[in-house]
Amino acid sequence: MNQVSFNNGDADADVVIVGSGVVGALIADQLAGEGHSVLVLEAGPRLDRADVVENWRNFSFERRAGNDFQGPYPQSPLATAPLYWPANDYIELSGPDGKGFKQGYIRAVGGTTWHWAASCWRHLPVDLKMKSTYGVGRDWPIGYDELEPYYCRAEEAMGVSGPNDPAQQSPSDRSKPYPADMIPWGNGDEVFAQVVNPHGYNLVPIPQGRMVKPWQDRPACCGNNNCQPICPIGAMYNGIHSVEAAERKGAHILAESVVYKIDTDENNRVIAVHWYDTNKVSHKATGKTFVIACNSIETPRLLLLAANERNPNGIANSSDQVGRNMLDHSGFHCTFLADRPIWLGRGPAQSSCMVGPRDGPFRSEYSANKIILNNISQIHTATKKALAMGLVGEELDTEIRRRAAYGVDLSISLEPLPDPNNRLTLSKTRRDGHGLACPDIRYELGAYARKGYDKACEQLEHIGKLFNAEEFHITTDLNANNHIMGGVIMGASSKDSVVDGNCRSFDHANLWLPGGGAIPSASVVNSTLTMAALGIKAADAISRELAAA
Amino acid sequence: MRKSSFFAFAALALGFANADAQPSAQKFSAKEIEQGRYVAIAGDCAACHTAPVHPGEKPSGEMAGGYPINSPLGAIYSSNITPSSRYGIGAYSEAEFARAVRSGIRRDGAPLYPAMPYPSYAKLTDADIHALYAYFMTAVKPIDSAAPTTNLPFPFNIRTSMRIWNAMFVDEQKIAADPARSAQWNRGRYLSETLGHCSTCHSPRGLMMQESKSAPLSGGPLGSWFAPNITSDKVSGIGGWSREEIARYLSTGSVPGKGQAAGEMAEAVTHSFSRMNPADVQAIAEYIATVPAVRDDSDKQAAYSFGHSANFETALRGDSKPALGSKLYSGLCAACHGRNGDGSPDGTIPSLHHNSTVGASRSDNLVSVILHGVDRTVGDRHVLMPGFGEASFVQSLTNAQIADLATFVRQTFGPGDSVTEKQVAVARTGSSFSIILLVVRSAMVLGALLLAGIAFWRLRRTSGGKTA
Repeated sequence: MNQVSFNNGDADADVVIVGSGVVGALIADQLAGEGHSVLVLEAGPRLDRADVVENWRNFSFERRAGNDFQGPYPQSPLATAPLYWPANDYIELSGPDGKGFKQGYIRAVGGTTWHWAASCWRHLPVDLKMKSTYGVGRDWPIGYDELEPYYCRAEEAMGVSGPNDPAQQSPSDRSKPYPADMIPWGNGDEVFAQVVNPHGYNLVPIPQGRMVKPWQDRPACCGNNNCQPICPIGAMYNGIHSVEAAERKGAHILAESVVYKIDTDENNRVIAVHWYDTNKVSHKATGKTFVIACNSIETPRLLLLAANERNPNGIANSSDQVGRNMLDHSGFHCTFLADRPIWLGRGPAQSSCMVGPRDGPFRSEYSANKIILNNISQIHTATKKALAMGLVGEELDTEIRRRAAYGVDLSISLEPLPDPNNRLTLSKTRRDGHGLACPDIRYELGAYARKGYDKACEQLEHIGKLFNAEEFHITTDLNANNHIMGGVIMGASSKDSVVDGNCRSFDHANLWLPGGGAIPSASVVNSTLTMAALGIKAADAISRELAAA
Repeated sequence: MRKSSFFAFAALALGFANADAQPSAQKFSAKEIEQGRYVAIAGDCAACHTAPVHPGEKPSGEMAGGYPINSPLGAIYSSNITPSSRYGIGAYSEAEFARAVRSGIRRDGAPLYPAMPYPSYAKLTDADIHALYAYFMTAVKPIDSAAPTTNLPFPFNIRTSMRIWNAMFVDEQKIAADPARSAQWNRGRYLSETLGHCSTCHSPRGLMMQESKSAPLSGGPLGSWFAPNITSDKVSGIGGWSREEIARYLSTGSVPGKGQAAGEMAEAVTHSFSRMNPADVQAIAEYIATVPAVRDDSDKQAAYSFGHSANFETALRGDSKPALGSKLYSGLCAACHGRNGDGSPDGTIPSLHHNSTVGASRSDNLVSVILHGVDRTVGDRHVLMPGFGEASFVQSLTNAQIADLATFVRQTFGPGDSVTEKQVAVARTGSSFSIILLVVRSAMVLGALLLAGIAFWRLRRTSGGKTA
């Protein structure tokens, strides 16, 4: 096992990884396991689970009811992430739908999978061929068949439970079964499936990174139902699990180490990255191979910040695509009271989802969608409403019970198309604690997804009728889903893309930019499993490069 | 003279071994083999001789040994007991096999360390030994790989001194049936005293690490754990448990409101008790319930009887600087065990009040369970409470944090004493497979015996020289 070497605060390793989230951690775990020396530089702090759990429990009713999932996580003042209670304006949003791009992500060792629902969806094979099939968006330079083995490995690494009945799989193109069969459904999932499935909505179990039995050293999920902001028992996969696995194999993690500068040689290979420590002292990490896996906002931001003489528009940016094509599954909610008890809130936060509208010939005209039966306990919402009704005493209790039982919350995700005008740039005015420019993002949903919104509303109204819905409501403001993609888009050509099918940068032979930033088509499903699969694919490619050198 | 007679004995034994029939030529009936499989389960051979597989590791194979018992002196490895002639016990005759199981003597004449519970197996019937032999020779797959060699530093590497210990403490006399008792009780006694080897852990030990005969099953330390008093005393023992509860505990590892198996007892439940015939488990319960009561006068109430549903949540939420123990409890324990410590209504997750681990007079098991967690499988049901020691997937706690947490739990749900940081530090260095403490202590005693033996022999030789 090779060790990272340190000299006067500078470091040298075979592989230098910037970012310790799920993607960076899985790569670190694999390459350290192969005997390479691996240094991971993480901008944020190391967290203690109990602190975050208690921060959440100590929150005000308003912040809990408002889903302030960012707030419970301690941040480094030198490497902030967005906060919304109150807003810290770390990212300035603009454009027609800028307000719908309020992303939540965590800058800490282990990354944003500290707070996620652990939904582990795969893209459909056709999602990788949007241009050639439907004439919209972009094709990937790799096919689903090439990605499929990496999906399997990502599912294994993250301990995913999913339906082993092909009829309930989306997609059913699989070479291996899930590591564990689906998480059993609660009452709400069952009732919903009975009502909506005869109409083609195809409510299926969500594949998820947790199990109802122990998995390796992870306990069984016991249904706390607060996957977001944190699983209090570690039953849900968190990137920190892979970080710790990598550390046991010899990887070295440096927390609160903010990378800001990248050195390149005459062949435009990366030779070093520089980081600031908590005393704002700069250090240098040299290596053979470099990986930047800081999510789709911080990766392009770093590439732009690190512009140097040879790369004046930013590292890896000869195509001018760094920071462009910002994507998320812009979403909205539909709420109502059903005509029968649903009892949302039993089991994990997201357990079933309608995938009927996920694909079809209509995608040449408008966006697909997926409709999640948002399985979060309705007690907060019910209580707010019952209090607003002015009820007291037994009437108040009865009304809270009624609403908690009958309340429905559907979370809808759209598929925006990659648009170079949806762009991250560096702020000219706002700086972070190290004096580094903060990101600005301009975002517009686009006509394709806007039309998809209208079509989804028709479907929702139909679903509402099936339940004789009362207080039926569809939100008109878009919400972010924190599935940040784009920014270092993947493609076949260095002219219009930043990375190739292995997430290697076209400009720098030893620089890899794996993760969500590379994803060229959003699909409508949560992006983490695809990010992890791309990370493992990149790790294999890096491994081959290191072996050849 | 003593020496030469020893060599004569050894030569005789060797000659006997060579003359014995080769096992491959022997024929065993299917019934004998099946009985042997059951005896192997009841004796829990696999607990030590099948190394558990950790994620990413290659399994060494069933009964192939190699389970490392990490000690401050180095790793002690269980041996390959598959019928591989070269690496296992394939060349053992039945007599040699019996000698290894009952007397702790290998085929090559070297004594085993008493990590192998041969002092209990000594009383096995010939029929059970025969069946066990039949099973190992025919139904266990030979695995041709050597278990790693145990290399303890001097004087712990001298196995010979075990012979003296064996002569002093190993009683191979068979158990005579007690006609005053039921057949069920007699069966339970046989299983408990031989294959079940309850006393290996649950009996206190004397100066030479021999099992106490005066207060059997009244409890003994086991690395970082403490094998509790399981005599019929209502306060210090398990006299307050019904026979059904004892049987349920053995076959499932959990009796809500009483206790749950962790550590090595969880291994015994997983590999052995849960796979035994219900009638045999019931028989063990029948016998164990009658073991003469041993009372520790400092005990005032039964371990399972402490505590009640707690309510500290409201005070905690109003406190900007809560006591660390309660904050850790809320952050790391309450999500499963409940903010009141009630566990889950169906008992899947144990309550912390009315819990023998929390209420025990010693806090060893509470500290150990926080450090190492619980890992137990019964049938297809795997119970895993994560540990909070190193490399925890939930959160790794420091010694000080565990002391604060354990103190909070003891004071909220248990007898009310405190746990110190030092206590946790000691527990942390204890191996999770903690028969090691027994081995190390035995080895130290043996080292002393050996030195005494050498001195004695020199004295004899010196005096002999004078007379010659």
